[in-house]
Amino acid sequence: MTEKSWKHSETNDLRIGVYVCHCGKNIGGTVRCEEVAEFARDLSGVILAKDSLYTCSEPGQEQIKSDIREHKLNRVVVASCTPRLHEPTFRAACEGAGLNPYLLEMANIREHCSWVHLHDKDAATEKAKDLVEMAVARVARLTPQVELTVPVARKAMVIGGGVAGIQAALDMADAGYKVYLVEREGSIGGRMAQIDKTFPTMDCSICILAPKMSEVGRHPNIELLTLSEVKEVGGHIGNFEVKVLKRARYVTKGCTACGDCVQACPQLAPDEFNAGLSIRHAIHIPFAQAVPSTFLIDMNQCLNNQGIVACDRCFQACSHKCINFSDRDEILDLDVGTIVVATGVDVYDPTPLTELGYGKFPNVITTLEFERLINAGGPSAGELIRPSDRKRPQKVAFLQCIGSRSKRSNPYCSNVCCMNTIKDALLIKEHWPETQIYVFYLDIRAFGKGFEDLFQRARREGVTFIRGIPGEIIEDIDSGDLTLLGENTLLGTPYRYNMDMVILSVGIMPHKDAEVLQRLLNLSTDTDGFYMEAHPKLRPVDTTTGGVFLAGAAEGPKDIKDSVTQASAAASRANILMSKGEVRIPAITSKIDPEKCTACGLCARVCPYHAIEGSKEQGYYRVIQAACQGCGACVPECRFEAIDQTHFSEGQIVSQIDRALERDPHTKIIAFACNWCSYAGADFAGVSRMQYPHNVRIIRTMCSARVSPGWIERAFIKGAGGVLVSGCHPADCHYNNANQNTVRRVEKFWKKMEKLGINKDRLQLAWVSAAEGAQFAAVIREMEQGLQKLNPKQIQHAAEQLTKSLQKKSEAS
Amino acid sequence: MTTIKIWKHFPREDLYECYQCARCTGSCPAMEVAPAFGPRGIILKCLNVGHEEVVEDEKVWLCCTCNVCEDRCPQKIPISDLLVALRNSAARRGNIPGRLSMAIELLAKTGRSMIVHQLDEMRAHHGLAPLPSAPVDEIRQILRKTGLDEVIEF
Repeated sequence: MTEKSWKHSETNDLRIGVYVCHCGKNIGGTVRCEEVAEFARDLSGVILAKDSLYTCSEPGQEQIKSDIREHKLNRVVVASCTPRLHEPTFRAACEGAGLNPYLLEMANIREHCSWVHLHDKDAATEKAKDLVEMAVARVARLTPQVELTVPVARKAMVIGGGVAGIQAALDMADAGYKVYLVEREGSIGGRMAQIDKTFPTMDCSICILAPKMSEVGRHPNIELLTLSEVKEVGGHIGNFEVKVLKRARYVTKGCTACGDCVQACPQLAPDEFNAGLSIRHAIHIPFAQAVPSTFLIDMNQCLNNQGIVACDRCFQACSHKCINFSDRDEILDLDVGTIVVATGVDVYDPTPLTELGYGKFPNVITTLEFERLINAGGPSAGELIRPSDRKRPQKVAFLQCIGSRSKRSNPYCSNVCCMNTIKDALLIKEHWPETQIYVFYLDIRAFGKGFEDLFQRARREGVTFIRGIPGEIIEDIDSGDLTLLGENTLLGTPYRYNMDMVILSVGIMPHKDAEVLQRLLNLSTDTDGFYMEAHPKLRPVDTTTGGVFLAGAAEGPKDIKDSVTQASAAASRANILMSKGEVRIPAITSKIDPEKCTACGLCARVCPYHAIEGSKEQGYYRVIQAACQGCGACVPECRFEAIDQTHFSEGQIVSQIDRALERDPHTKIIAFACNWCSYAGADFAGVSRMQYPHNVRIIRTMCSARVSPGWIERAFIKGAGGVLVSGCHPADCHYNNANQNTVRRVEKFWKKMEKLGINKDRLQLAWVSAAEGAQFAAVIREMEQGLQKLNPKQIQHAAEQLTKSLQKKSEAS
Repeated sequence: MTTIKIWKHFPREDLYECYQCARCTGSCPAMEVAPAFGPRGIILKCLNVGHEEVVEDEKVWLCCTCNVCEDRCPQKIPISDLLVALRNSAARRGNIPGRLSMAIELLAKTGRSMIVHQLDEMRAHHGLAPLPSAPVDEIRQILRKTGLDEVIEF
């Protein structure tokens, strides 16, 4: 960004404008906004304070703009919703009127106030006043900032080669960008390749997928990396440095997939692609339509494991001499600008539900196994046979919600199983109309386009739907037939059905590697283990890590259509970054004052990004601005006040603490919340209208590691009843585990409190993820109860003790 | 007759977790012999018509607290606890099967829940010593402590 002349921001005289938003009834229904505006008018530096129905609306923004011009405002405070939602809106409004966007501050009086104190208007209004006062204090200390621009590499990586990954890769490659498609298995295709038909159109799954797969294989912009896994991710938006482990294939690209080698191979193993229902050789191709169409050797099965060549029959059989036993795993270093995560799902394994007998009774199978059985390319060549005697079943039962909607497995609805069962039932009816089919269900969720039609068609074609899941399945050992015991809940009568085969409609769950990637890419997951979007409605394919996007079922259970839609969306989001070629980095980096720096190097040691360089010999340290991510973990480490974080400076935060504790400090809890998890968690509590005590005042930092022990000390000296430090769960920190510093510092402070005879419970450390609104509310409730047990004497004693120790320290230095 | 407040003994919110899948009834051994009985129906009645009506129904006594329903409940609802709480309430309202109250009366009076003098004859026939006398007073004390005397006179 070029230097602009910021018209009014340079002046020292404060001219602050405060805007209190009613947000319709969302705030106005609880908080008396006129009263808050009236209160703000008397605050020092405030020139005008107004309340409006919707500040984010066009007229609302115009009002701010015209006031900036007319009244020469040089600071703006908007008291409305969370800055995570509308900060960009109001920053743009300020910028539009010639005010530096960094001179805006928001007071969150919706998610953190009106929505969580719905039934106490007085307390909510008082709290809103406090929050506005804190914002005014902070805004007075803000300084204009210029954002840094970094280039975005015009290369992308897609992790996962299922239908979502394929679509995302093709969309980006077609737009002209280089794409690395990383797939763990020997072929792309994913789950969709395993499925026989798709709902609701009953298209042949592989027939519509295979052309896309081969397009990936021959696309000049796509580099396909199969048998590969992401091992390390460094860098940041625009410039990720990725290490990919490419495992040895032992078959070279010259392979024509003639299959001569397979005949020669003596080693057998269960075929994963056919869900273990058939066998394959150690040298094999995952499936007929595989891309790349190259065989591979499963070294765990091959006799030549560990470099000893005991068998070379495949080598002898190969007329093109494509077998290479000396092939080795390699690490590839890739530099990419954007990443699309499309890791997909695993299916639920119903073995733990022992009453259903899966794994014990051969004729109880899962829907994925059924898909392979009914597929013409499957182990039975499309014949529906039951595993115990390979006879065609006359009576088939489908059991719904196996591994879904249950506290014993996954609590969420898996989204695809209802329609998949209906499709499967129709497939059986299509081939063998006389087969009796019973679907035991809880609710049939046929919510999508064309779904209800398909459901009605299944009923018309004679599929019997019975409401009530069997409690138990009993097997007749001689015949292999199964008896289902349960209750038809609509009739209110017990049933006992004899079936030839039972198909468990299993749910889907995040891929088992989702956790690994979550750490590598600093993503968040929801309570179910799926990756979390940056915003559930408005940024549904973005993640909280800049430059990383989500596609397909990795973000939540999805059918093929939704996966493809989301993949195109993710590709488009990545394309925007790459086509622009540069991205602006928020001006929240740390800066070191060389005058004060003693070159002790403590800051460099805690920096999670190695963004601080220097040495004792050099005499000072400095922050590499492009590498600094703005967590602020370094600031509390400095003993010489030489380092400070832009836009989250010591002075700014301390002013917030002071103002928050100006009235009745002993009744208040100061909560420091990190931007990514805990602040978002508190927002989530608001969105979910979870009510908690009103005496908490939340102060936002980017990372909990920014929280300086000095702030905690300050709060207690000012008489705060309690202090909460909250951040992301230890492994989920958005700044590369910077929050381990938080733990260290809080523990140290606890020791100090113990030594000075201060009740340790008054300082709490809590991990609250963005999905844990309830957890945030619970922590506050608990702290509030602790507060009520405190007496003023204890608070005063603590304040005195801490003041004394502070004095001692300053005398010593 | 006093009524105990059953939601003090069983968290009512747990019932809202139930989505009527009927795995419980499908697993219930009592349902095998008395098809009109089932935990699912009892939970639904508690939610839709109120527990007051449920505790008047003799069927709550069909449960043998084998816990299978609870083991298989996908929502981990402590169904056995619910039935125990319901039966406590039922007993205090006078809904208690005659056979059961008879057995308790017998237990309070003789220290045994069944009549045993025929047993003594059998034991003598086999050359066994007569049964020792039961500690009736102690048993009565225990029964009083549990509050059973408020429900059944003995």
